[in-house]
Amino acid sequence: MEHARQDREVLSAALEAGKLLLENGAEIFRVEDTIYRICRHFGLTSANAFVLSNGIFLTSGNEEDNEAQFAKVLLIPVNRTNLGRVAEVNQLSRQIESGAYTIQQVRDELKRIQQMPEFPEKLQIAAAGFSGACFSHLFGGGFQDALCTMGIGMLLYIYLLKLGKPHFSKILCNILGSALVTFLSLLCYRFHMGTHLEAMLVGGIIIMVPGVAFTNGIRDMADGDYISGSVRMLDAILVFLCIAMGVGFMMTIYNTITGGMLL
Amino acid sequence: MIRLILQVLAASAGTVGFSLLFGVPARYYPYCGLIGGIGWLVYLCVLPGATAAIATFCATVVIILLSRWFAVRKRCPATLFLISGIFPLVPGAGIYWAAYYTITNQLQLALETGYGAVKAAVAIVLGIVVVFELPEKWFHTRTSR
Repeated sequence: MEHARQDREVLSAALEAGKLLLENGAEIFRVEDTIYRICRHFGLTSANAFVLSNGIFLTSGNEEDNEAQFAKVLLIPVNRTNLGRVAEVNQLSRQIESGAYTIQQVRDELKRIQQMPEFPEKLQIAAAGFSGACFSHLFGGGFQDALCTMGIGMLLYIYLLKLGKPHFSKILCNILGSALVTFLSLLCYRFHMGTHLEAMLVGGIIIMVPGVAFTNGIRDMADGDYISGSVRMLDAILVFLCIAMGVGFMMTIYNTITGGMLL
Repeated sequence: MIRLILQVLAASAGTVGFSLLFGVPARYYPYCGLIGGIGWLVYLCVLPGATAAIATFCATVVIILLSRWFAVRKRCPATLFLISGIFPLVPGAGIYWAAYYTITNQLQLALETGYGAVKAAVAIVLGIVVVFELPEKWFHTRTSR
């Protein structure tokens, strides 16, 4: 009986680790790998994991080895990416393999990683503006354009944090976001605060580009996880299309108002 | 020359900014910045002699080689470095021009730019797939183990 309880705890810990990895932007193969590593280290050889981009199915138990029957399904909503947590769980799984932890310590450590604070919002907003400014320079903008893009990027990120992500669906959030960027860039361009419309606009929308979904989608496909890979790629393509729609939408309005001559 | 240095610095700084947005711990920022800068440098160096897609491919390959190399050195997932490092290469401008030409009814140009963006995306895909197929042990040197 004691044995069964121990197995159950191992599986719960492995599931928790897998959940942390998956929701914070790890690849499917890493999630599976970590779950198996934890189970194996604590002597649970019958565990089987099936990981999708938004869920984990985990079972264990067979009659011969007398291991406890156990199954758990966990739906994992898409979360904000936090690669710091991925790195921590990865580190933890290495340390578990070297034998440094008991199962209770593993669970405490996972809880700590779960509660790890994010960077403060103000810092994130500043970073978004700063990155936007840098990227506008890459796409041919001058100093003035970079300054405008910094403002645009910060406003966009405030919108994403406060309004878009908590209240709107992903599709609407991205269309409105890129429309906002386009509107602000056109405003800056119209009032001669910036000279390169393209640079300001691209610097702004690059903050919304689904880099994590895109790269992880490719890697999942390459690992043979076609279902998760295609879901993530679809996610990325959808966001790209939404961004393009938002830009097109706002420009159409602008062209209609100004007669289409000013771009 | 000064323009090139400025561009590379901007790519590095932008990459670090994105790392922060993705919650990468601060101790990895120098490597993230380095990878972003070098990736963009490769892109700029290859671009005059080739198409944008080939330049993107070369830059992606370098970025992912470096990401894997640092990942082995620092004992952390390569994802930490490569996701933000790849951002300068994402065809953001392609999306913009495709949308712009579509709404101004220049369909030929819209197709061309949209197709260019897809080609750049495919180049990134190829780069990622190719480099991740390389065996892990190539990234271990005698000093690291």
